Amino acid sequence: MTEQEIIDRTNKVFEESFEIEPERLVPEAHIFADLGLDSLDIVDLIVALQTSFGVKIRTDEKVREIRTLGDVYRFISAIKNGGQE
Amino acid sequence: MKLNRVVISGLGVVSPFGNGVSALMHGLREGRSAVRYMEGWDQYIGLQSMLGAPVEMVDEKRIPRQKRRSMGRMSIFAAQAADEAVADAGISLDREDLWRVGCVIGSTMGSAKSINDAFETMLPDRDLSRLNSTMFFQCMSHTAAVNTAQYLGLVGTVMAPAAACASALHSIGTAYDLIRLGRQDIILCGGAEELHPTVTGSFDILFATSTRYNATPSLSPRPFDRERDGLVCGEGCGILVLEEYERAVRRGARIYAEVCGYSTTANGLHVSQSNRDSMVACMKQALSEAGSALSDIDYINAHATATIQGDMEEAEAIRDLFGDTAPVSSLKGYFGHTLGASGAIETAATLKMMEEGVIYPTRNLEHVADDCAGIRHVFEPEARKVTTMLKNGFAFGGINAALVCRTI
Repeated sequence: MTEQEIIDRTNKVFEESFEIEPERLVPEAHIFADLGLDSLDIVDLIVALQTSFGVKIRTDEKVREIRTLGDVYRFISAIKNGGQE
Repeated sequence: MKLNRVVISGLGVVSPFGNGVSALMHGLREGRSAVRYMEGWDQYIGLQSMLGAPVEMVDEKRIPRQKRRSMGRMSIFAAQAADEAVADAGISLDREDLWRVGCVIGSTMGSAKSINDAFETMLPDRDLSRLNSTMFFQCMSHTAAVNTAQYLGLVGTVMAPAAACASALHSIGTAYDLIRLGRQDIILCGGAEELHPTVTGSFDILFATSTRYNATPSLSPRPFDRERDGLVCGEGCGILVLEEYERAVRRGARIYAEVCGYSTTANGLHVSQSNRDSMVACMKQALSEAGSALSDIDYINAHATATIQGDMEEAEAIRDLFGDTAPVSSLKGYFGHTLGASGAIETAATLKMMEEGVIYPTRNLEHVADDCAGIRHVFEPEARKVTTMLKNGFAFGGINAALVCRTI
C-alpha cells in the first residue's frame, strides 16, 4: 500500500466519520485540538481504521501515542508496510 | 401542602406529516393519510403487515455532530421537537436557571434501528470490536431524554418513563407532578418513538396489526370501524413545555391550557389485553383530580388504535362513563400509532384543536362497529368550543393513563 493510498483512505475516514472538511486534513493537525475529536471519537476512529485497512489495532499500545493526523498515517503505514515510518 | 398549578406553554412535534406542529395540523385539516406501503419489509419472514407511517427526516445535520452521534432516529426527532417547543414557548434557555429546567421524555425502548443494527453488527461473529462508541447511547432506554437534555444543555431532572404506548402520557404526568411539587419550574416532556419492521413485528406476531389493507394503505388503520383489523405503527416525537403557572403568567407566556388532572392505573389481569374497568378507574381519577364533572368534558381524544379488542374496551369504558354525550375521536387513522410518542403528539394536536375551535374526526371511521357504538363519534370536522379535554393512552402491560387539560 502506498503512502498516498494510506493518506487518502485515512482522510476519507475523517471526512465520513467525523464530518471534517478535506482542507483541514493536514498532517500536522492535532486530532483533539485542531480536528475536535474527543475520547468517544477515538473509539470510532479505531473501529473505522480497522474496517478501512483490515487491521486489528484496538489493543495496540501505540494507539495511545497518536496525537496528529500524521501520526495516524505513520501508525497505519508501520502496520501495513512492515515498519516503514 | 399547597401544590403549584401547571400550564402548557409550548408545543413541538415531529410527525409522519412532517416537522412542526403546523405540518401536523395541516395534515389533519386536509384529512390526509400518512400511512404507506413500506418497501423492503417483505424480506422479514412472517411479517404480515406491510404498513407504516414514517417520518421523512430533515435537517438533522443542523444538530452538531458531537451531539448527533449519540442519537438514533427517535432522539433526532426529540431534539427537533424540543427546539420547536422551546421557541413556541418563547423561552430563552440561556436566561433560565437551568437547574430548574427538566427533560422527561419516554419511549418504549431505545432506538429500534440502533438496537437492531447493534445486534446485526455483533452477532454474526460474536465480534464486539466492530461496535462504535455511541451505539449504546442510541440503544439505552432513556436515549431521547438524555440526548435532548444534552443537546439543549438542560441540567435539571432528566427522566424517561418507559410504558410502551403510554410513555408520553406518563412523561407528561411525571412532569406535572415535578412542577406541582416545586421540584422544577419548567419541563420539556413528551414521548418519542421510531418505526422499524421489528417494532411492527412485535404487534404483528400477536395479530394486532392491520394486514388486510397492504394494497390500500390510506384505508387503515380504522379506529372504531366495523372493518378495522389492527394498528399501523408510526413514528415521531411530541414535546410539551410544562411550566409553573405563576411564572408563566409573570413572563406573559401564551398558555394553551392548564394540566389539571392526571392518573395512571394498571389492570393487573393480562399483559396484552386492555380492560374496561381499569380504564374507567383511570379516567375517573383524572377527572376527580381535575375537579371536572363528566359533563365538563367537551372532547375526548381517544387512544383507539384500531385493534379489535382495544377499541372495544375503550369504547365501552367511555360509554360507561359518558354515554353518548362527549365527542370522541382518534387521530390514529391519519398518521398511525406513534406508540410512545402518541400521547404527546395527540395531546399537542388536541390543544391546537382547542385553539382553533374545531374537533377533527376519526379518519377511516365509516361504519361504527357494534362493539364500539353508544359513544358520540365524530365523523366530520366539528366546530366546537372545547374548554376541557380528556386524553386517553393505553399500553401493553395493562397500563392506562388519562390526562385532563382545561383552558384558562
